[in-house]
Amino acid sequence: MSFNQQLRALVLLLLSCNVMADGRVVDKVYHPYVQPLEREFEYRYLYQWQANHPDNNAMAQQFGYGFSVADNMAISVNILAERIMPEDYRIAGYEAELRWMLTEQGQYSWDWGLLFELERQKQTDNNEFTTGLLVEKEFEYTSLTVNALLVYEWGKTIPAEWESEFRLQYRYRYLPALQPSVEIYSGENYKGAGPGFMGVYKFSPTRQLKWEAAMVFALDNSTIDRTFRFALKYEF
Amino acid sequence: MTLQQALAALALCIPLAVQARQEFVLTLKDHLFSPAQLAVPAGQKIKIRLINLDAAPEEFESFPLNREKVVLGNSEAILYLGPLAAGEYPFFGDYHPDSAKGVLIAIPEAQWQQVQHVN
Repeated sequence: MSFNQQLRALVLLLLSCNVMADGRVVDKVYHPYVQPLEREFEYRYLYQWQANHPDNNAMAQQFGYGFSVADNMAISVNILAERIMPEDYRIAGYEAELRWMLTEQGQYSWDWGLLFELERQKQTDNNEFTTGLLVEKEFEYTSLTVNALLVYEWGKTIPAEWESEFRLQYRYRYLPALQPSVEIYSGENYKGAGPGFMGVYKFSPTRQLKWEAAMVFALDNSTIDRTFRFALKYEF
Repeated sequence: MTLQQALAALALCIPLAVQARQEFVLTLKDHLFSPAQLAVPAGQKIKIRLINLDAAPEEFESFPLNREKVVLGNSEAILYLGPLAAGEYPFFGDYHPDSAKGVLIAIPEAQWQQVQHVN
């Protein structure tokens, strides 16, 4: 099967995700890989703005600790904080996450992984369960990463429903410290794309800092104009 | 698009038959890779069996190869690579970068046939 056929099949699959999610769509684009002995602290930041939009000035932060529990499986726990106005800033909820590497890197045409995520919003008594495919393909000096996620939401203030999210990152592995990318996101009331970058700096053989950031712009009228995301990951 | 169509599209992404890959062995002992220069054919998918004879874990790392792979002490790991363009791809052991160093040399197909013939 040619690469073009595989890519067309993957795009068809992703376009089939026609129900969309309520939550914030812009977030980390997960890679499908897990390493044994993996341990990390991670900080994520997100900021959205557009005058007269209900989510203008919305900011969210996440701090978490993760580690591998098997050669191909890692878990993490995260604290979520968010605000729209400065006085709203609060701990919004908690999240547990499991990443499962299904295939070794390069073993098949595409590398496959699974994500399971359970989030509890403590202020609103709402819950969210996310699961889906993490897929990556290498093209010489570039890498394409796709997350196709299904989300089930339930709780006091939202109707119970299945939804979906789609994230894509196409990255040029220019230098370890600078890998420019393009990111695309799709979800409920959200279709956006924009430039990003990621990089890594090693402090010592066993300690390194990874960073990534992206500025995502609206692709339609229902999407908030600009979303900035930033993440730092300390691995040790 | 129906669920059946989506599943069919997903199935198309999974190869039904996996081509056999030529296997190479890379050994790690006393925090040294052996062979330190590993010749492989360019333009082919290959498999490298990484055998760690040390008690300590090591991480095979190569930015040009886009690979990071931890192999535990007295254990093995498999690296799936290729098809590689002809050229040299340096790699190192992330936990002992001063000693654990090597280079993968991808040899053009015509030259590789000659090397195989001589061997």
